[in-house]
Amino acid sequence: MSAFVELAEGGVRLAVPLLLASAGELVSERAGVLNLSVEGMMLTGAFAGAVGASMTGSPWAGVGFALAAGLLAALLQAVLSVTLRADQIVTGIAANALALGGTTYGARLFFTDGRSVPGFEPVLGPLTVLGCAGLAVVAAIGLLLSRRTGYGLAVDAAGADAVAADRTGLPVAAIRYGVVLLTGLTSALAGAQLALAEVHAFTDNLTAGVGYLAVVAVIAGRWRAWPTALACLFFGIAQALQFTAPLLGLHLPTAVLVMSPYLIALVAVSGLVGSSRAPAGLTVPFHRESR
Amino acid sequence: MIPALELHDVAKSFGPVRALSGVSLTVQAGEVHCVLGENGAGKSTLCNLVNGGVSLERGTMTLYGEPYRPSRPTDALAAGVAMVHQHFSLVPTLTIAENLLLAAGARLRPRRRELHEGLARIEETYGLSVPLDELAGHVPVGVRQQAEIIKCLLRDPRLLLLDEPTAVLGPADVDALLATCRRIAEAGKAVVLVTHKLGEVTRAGDSATILRGGTVAGAGPLAGFGAEDLVELMVGRPMSDLDPLLVASVDESATSREAARITAEPVFRAQGLTLSRADGTLALDGVNLEIAPGEIVGVAGVEGNGQSELVTVLSGAVPPGSGSFLLGEHDLTFATPRGRTAAGLGIIPEDRHHEGCVPAMSIAENLFLPRLSEFARRGLLDRSALHEAAARVIEEHGIRATGPSARMSTLSGGNQQKVVVARELALDPLVCLVAAQPTRGLDIGAVDAVLGRIRSAAQAGAAVLVISSELSELLALCHRIVVAYRGRLLGPVPAAAPQARDEIGRLMVGAAA
Repeated sequence: MSAFVELAEGGVRLAVPLLLASAGELVSERAGVLNLSVEGMMLTGAFAGAVGASMTGSPWAGVGFALAAGLLAALLQAVLSVTLRADQIVTGIAANALALGGTTYGARLFFTDGRSVPGFEPVLGPLTVLGCAGLAVVAAIGLLLSRRTGYGLAVDAAGADAVAADRTGLPVAAIRYGVVLLTGLTSALAGAQLALAEVHAFTDNLTAGVGYLAVVAVIAGRWRAWPTALACLFFGIAQALQFTAPLLGLHLPTAVLVMSPYLIALVAVSGLVGSSRAPAGLTVPFHRESR
Repeated sequence: MIPALELHDVAKSFGPVRALSGVSLTVQAGEVHCVLGENGAGKSTLCNLVNGGVSLERGTMTLYGEPYRPSRPTDALAAGVAMVHQHFSLVPTLTIAENLLLAAGARLRPRRRELHEGLARIEETYGLSVPLDELAGHVPVGVRQQAEIIKCLLRDPRLLLLDEPTAVLGPADVDALLATCRRIAEAGKAVVLVTHKLGEVTRAGDSATILRGGTVAGAGPLAGFGAEDLVELMVGRPMSDLDPLLVASVDESATSREAARITAEPVFRAQGLTLSRADGTLALDGVNLEIAPGEIVGVAGVEGNGQSELVTVLSGAVPPGSGSFLLGEHDLTFATPRGRTAAGLGIIPEDRHHEGCVPAMSIAENLFLPRLSEFARRGLLDRSALHEAAARVIEEHGIRATGPSARMSTLSGGNQQKVVVARELALDPLVCLVAAQPTRGLDIGAVDAVLGRIRSAAQAGAAVLVISSELSELLALCHRIVVAYRGRLLGPVPAAAPQARDEIGRLMVGAAA
């Protein structure tokens, strides 16, 4: 019995960073920007959070550091993909590689003398204060940017048909900047979650693909809010299962569990379950002055 | 009286292409002002300048006496200028209500009550209404356009621009649209109607400006122009120089022609072709048709009676449910598109953007895409030979472009169609040509060129099938006309028969079925 509780608790705990990252990513993709750099922004957030908390001794200061760093990383992505109209997939991969190299080098320089990283302790079941704040942020995004609000409609319009949205008088470039910066904030928060609430340290490649999982969750959820949230929860439980499977008496190869999110995403995009609903303008840069 | 809109000596270029130069124009409030011109004459650029879609290079604009220089569509809307776009500005995945709500700007709580009040006012003043809960992408094109006009009127504009509003509409929708334009003008607003169809102008307009090659070819009250004057100003050559066939298609009273006597064995044989739609109804319900070499057969009919499906089956995009399609001794019923091309079947598809060409590739590449192997040298493509051959075709077909390496997407619609026609006519041997809506969206000069090419292909011995919603064009071009009605072909009616037009009109509503 306790193994099941442990599984559920672990699943929820691991789902929080996924939910945060994919909430931002979902909004960003609905507006037409494929933000593949969530992984990099999470890693940047985790590193900045750990450094900030270690330097000041306050985990909340670490969160502030993380948000600022995430915002900077997102600004880079926004300038590249919205203003300079660079290929979003290429810039995303480059940003991730840069973040991995940068934070690994930074960790070599900073965490040399066994510095400790103060973190958050669980207050509500498995959740820390930061985890609760993260869930509140996810809920707020879900409410404020749903299709029932004008903002949510504007986000969808910018992603489905940027030309039509522009002609309607919506500020397409500003909307896209906004969603990329929002993704930067939520991803950094997700990274801080990992560094300050989970491991209380920074290790090389701390995120280890969680950011990519967030992108996968959006695809598996077919660009809708609730299915994406469910996908995040499922991926969280699949990760937790890696640790609790022996306790439950299951003898699944770990590789199968690690693989499962990606298999689900493949099924979701291959059209086996109804038609795909990707926003029509996803990864298409918007440029007004053309014939 | 202060003019609603005044343009003085306006110019705009896109890279090396001069879209507009030295254009001046005056529009009064309370009138419908028509801007006429062929495709590529600069009409759309003019619209986008006034709407803030592109920025002004030289010259000045004034709106109701105030200097006016919008740098984005939002500025234009704030100044009271709204535009009905040719390809619409509705987001297809949102409902019409959501689209209309967005037009008032993005707010946290959409103002639904305000929207309903505005809609009630518009319905009262202009008699316009739309289904609000349908997805914009799912309603017929006529309804979408009404939604677009309502979207503009909700902002209570002082100037309304309509860019080619009739290009996508059927005759009944066109009449309704023109009536709406008049009502909007009578409400004291200025209406600018941009079009290349002359019939509309005489019915709805008060004054006109005629553009040709980016400059003003003529302007003034419409009462001062005859239909022939307008054609001459648009095309830039006297009416007598144009193909008589074209004159017939502009002029509604088509001249009857001597029908050539066709006696040869049919080379195109379609028998009992059927095709089911997704909902189980029959899009094609036993199509039988034979065409002899040198013969031109037209398919008339109200759209949606199986014309598009017939083309998809003939081109091999979709296999038929039953029946057969033979070209000479080749059975092409289930042949691949490559097999069809090899058998000498040329297809000019209905939608040239999606099916007719690759917009991101150059003219040269598009022209020779089906036979690039002819330009291979030791396994590599001989670019200079390709460009030389393309330059010859561009010259021969009068395609207006900067050169063989110009991208397809930079050409005007008429010139894109000329490229598609040139590619299909280059088949050797060309046994049969299927042309679907070959002149849709084209200006008079391009219609002239395309129809002339189709006719000379028939004279060279090809069997030709033309599917078109322009009846005058079919009457002038074809030997026989069949009418598509609920997936069957009714008729044939000899095009030269004196009562052909009436007879076809009766068949179109299934009267003789």
